[in-house]
Amino acid sequence: MMFSAELKKGSTEMLVLSLIEERPRHGYEIGKLIEQRSGGRLKFALPTLYPTLLRLENRGWIKGRWVEKAGERERCYYRLTPEGRRILDEQHKTWIAYVAAVNDVMGTGRA
Amino acid sequence: MRNWEAFVRDRLQLPAHAPMREARIVRELAAQLEDFYREALARGASESEADAHACAQIGDWSQLSRDVATADRANTQPRMERIADTVTELGQTRGGGVTMFADFLHDMRYAARQLVKTPAFTIVAILTLALGIGATSAIFSVVNTVLLRPLPYPDAERLVRVHEIVPQYGLFSVAPATFLDWRQQNSVFEHVAAYNSGSTTIAGAEGPERVPSASVSWDLFELLKVKPLLGRTFTAQEGTPANQTVAIVSYGAWQRRFGGDRSVLERPVNLNGTSSTIIGVMPPDFYFPSRTTEIWTPLAFNPANATRGGHFLGVIARTKAGVAIESANTEMKTISERLAVQYPQQSANESATVVQLLENIVGDIRPALLTLLAAVGIVVLIACANVANLLLVRASVREKEIAIRAALGAGRRRLCLQMLAESVVLAVAGGTLGLLLAYLAIPAIKSLSAASIPRIADLSIDITVLAFVTGVSLLAGLIFGLAPMWHASRTTLGHVLKEGGRTSSSAAGRWVRNTLLVAEVGLSIVLLVGATLLLRSFAKLTSVDPGFHPERVLTFQVSLPNTAYPEPHNQAAFFSTLLEKLDAQPDVASAGMVQTLPMRGDYVLSVTFEGRPAPPPNMEPSANYRVVSPNYFDALGVPLLRGRVFNNQDTEASLQVAVVDQAFVDRHFPNENPLGRKIDIGNGGAGVNEIVGVVANVHHEGLDRKPQPTMYVPYRQDIFSSMWIMARTSGNPTRLAGSVRQVMREIDPALPAFRMGPLTDAVTESIAERRFSMLLLTVFAGIAVFLAAVGLYGVVAYTVTQRTQEIGLRMAIGAAPSDVLRMVVGDGLKLATIGMVLGIAAALVLARVIKSMLFDVTPFDAASYGVTAMVLLAVAALACYVPARRAMRVDPLVALRQE
Repeated sequence: MMFSAELKKGSTEMLVLSLIEERPRHGYEIGKLIEQRSGGRLKFALPTLYPTLLRLENRGWIKGRWVEKAGERERCYYRLTPEGRRILDEQHKTWIAYVAAVNDVMGTGRA
Repeated sequence: MRNWEAFVRDRLQLPAHAPMREARIVRELAAQLEDFYREALARGASESEADAHACAQIGDWSQLSRDVATADRANTQPRMERIADTVTELGQTRGGGVTMFADFLHDMRYAARQLVKTPAFTIVAILTLALGIGATSAIFSVVNTVLLRPLPYPDAERLVRVHEIVPQYGLFSVAPATFLDWRQQNSVFEHVAAYNSGSTTIAGAEGPERVPSASVSWDLFELLKVKPLLGRTFTAQEGTPANQTVAIVSYGAWQRRFGGDRSVLERPVNLNGTSSTIIGVMPPDFYFPSRTTEIWTPLAFNPANATRGGHFLGVIARTKAGVAIESANTEMKTISERLAVQYPQQSANESATVVQLLENIVGDIRPALLTLLAAVGIVVLIACANVANLLLVRASVREKEIAIRAALGAGRRRLCLQMLAESVVLAVAGGTLGLLLAYLAIPAIKSLSAASIPRIADLSIDITVLAFVTGVSLLAGLIFGLAPMWHASRTTLGHVLKEGGRTSSSAAGRWVRNTLLVAEVGLSIVLLVGATLLLRSFAKLTSVDPGFHPERVLTFQVSLPNTAYPEPHNQAAFFSTLLEKLDAQPDVASAGMVQTLPMRGDYVLSVTFEGRPAPPPNMEPSANYRVVSPNYFDALGVPLLRGRVFNNQDTEASLQVAVVDQAFVDRHFPNENPLGRKIDIGNGGAGVNEIVGVVANVHHEGLDRKPQPTMYVPYRQDIFSSMWIMARTSGNPTRLAGSVRQVMREIDPALPAFRMGPLTDAVTESIAERRFSMLLLTVFAGIAVFLAAVGLYGVVAYTVTQRTQEIGLRMAIGAAPSDVLRMVVGDGLKLATIGMVLGIAAALVLARVIKSMLFDVTPFDAASYGVTAMVLLAVAALACYVPARRAMRVDPLVALRQE
């Protein structure tokens, strides 16, 4: 099952923020993780994902750093800033509340 | 594997980003694409499949470019970006004009960034322009100051000089009686005033000093419409012979001599031995007739016995409002010609002419200045051609970028405007630097031309010069911007892609570049020929024998006041004592004296010959007249050819004698023995002078004039109260100054020795204007040739780069490095030779413009043209040799692998 671009648009930022909450990740890795964890149902192409990363970084929510890890090429790893963590918490809460509200309205039977 | 960074960089368009930021984005996108590629390989895809997979990740590059630009707006050039954005937003709501402005700002910013990316190109282009524009600004500021700026008097355009025209001499000073008649009879002038400049001895705390002064008609200041800073100007009453005890001083004199003390008014000062009262101080910026004049006294003569034969007044007038200079001229001619008929004995055949005062002051220098302005105009053109060529080379290197931008939707007009923006940025930068160069050059120009160019002391950069520089810079930007615009407008995507993304150098592009180069070489040849002609003239001029030895001679002037030395015998006694005492000084070899120094002013009198029919009045021949001491010829080193020079027995009581020069003999006694012949000199004295000797010619009017007939008489037989003394020494003449002043103090402590300096100064001054033109034109020609060489180098170097593969191929199949050298230098020299031939043809046509500035060299002087051609070919060969050497070192293997 695929989702429309409209539907995905609102949640891209939150997904990126939550994925790098655990540890810093590079751009390709973020794209792959979204795909894997959604079982292939969510896919963000590079042209969508990369401008998002730039936007988040410019807002000061994430910070990219070029790191060379053993046996790998040098990549830009993004981590969450304190401000980003605060925003993620807020978005997460809002999202839970929103999903709950939607479910309530639509009735559990349909869920 | 593909170079992913290059792949991204070629496709991502981030015109508003700083290069560093852009590089970071490119690098990250490239890293991610590489991840896609490697992952595909790891899954077992072939290399080409993996490559296709990675490439497919980004479908719409222009959309990505826009998205990235929007997401990363905070990292674009901050202030300009914000302004442009605001303006764009405004434009979207308010109409097209503002959008155009936003585009313009955007283009300028983009242009500046592109230029910063290629510093070598940018620096060369800006320096080239700065040299051209700087030279032009400097010369224009001279033209502006000297020729264009009005004189510092209100309504100065109505001020005129009125000259008498005397049959033997042409333009001439005015006789007092004539002046009074003009004043009374004319109907075209508001005011007519006369003046007579000279010098005045002022008694000060540190002893007597001689200062420049002028006696002027009482209403001169009214005529000039200048009010005094303090006190008043002269009254009509003070303009009569009985009331000669008042003076007006300049602001400078008031500050220096009186400490700016306001109580100076009504205070007595001793002028020329007479007690006078200072009645006024003029404002700081006032000067007349020369900048150094410190004192003005009223000019007065008795109308009853004013002379009509002695011409010594300058006459200045202000035309009535609405009277054209031509009508003033016509009326003054009519009046003068009527006077000539009325007084046939003194004024036969005389006439008059009216010249605008400014023209009178600067008219002589105008051709030289305009020639120099034209010369720097050529330098600017060469600079433009150079920069146009550089831009063309750059444009062809950037063809791909331009094609991609066209593919991304940039219209032809927009592309052209972007190219133009780059030119404008260069022009503005070059113009600014050029202006700075001009500003720095001003002190040098001032000191170089102080003696030869009137009004140069006022030289400055004013609003007119700024406007001129702005205009020239923008015009230059437009001129050299046309070439790359033309190039951009021709660039098409298909064309570039067909060439496989390699930069192309189409036949048309090459043709334009070569034409520009030929024009550059041609123009620089024109300047170089001009400079060489002037250099040769100057060399010939300085090697002219002046007829005397100016080295190791100290000169100074002494003026005897009428009060202390009223009679000729008092004056003669003073001078003879002075000369004796100077001669007695151990370091003085010989001391002589004359009333007019060679090369500094003239003194011409009429002469008639005993035993020959008298010519009609005012048609007598004339000759230089010099009143000298016996030792004069010795002190100056003028050799005696026949007879004798004067001695101390030639006194007022003895036979009146004269010595003449060879030019006088050639003119008046071509086949006769002049010795013993008697001449009647129009010096106001009675009787005739017997010629007792003949001396060699002296260039009295300057090195560039043929020596004119000259007659000398002993000073005791026609005494002058003001004389030039010259003392020859064995060493440095300026060291004599101390002993000279000591001798003067011993004889008369109230008398100053003034205008003291080496005699060589007089010779140097007489050729100062030529030296100024010659030096400047040489500098400009140097710049022109340098720029042409840079241009030639640039084009050849570019060609070598373009032909690296071809050269490699040639060498691979057996061409020797020397063949390559010959080929590259030969191609460059071919262009230089075409330019040279065209340039020489143009120079042959244009050289007559500077004919009046040449001396003893024709405008078609073969040697000058030959030297010029050789210099240019040598420079051109050098400019080609440098890139040719690089071509020689091309490694065929490396060159062929580049594909």
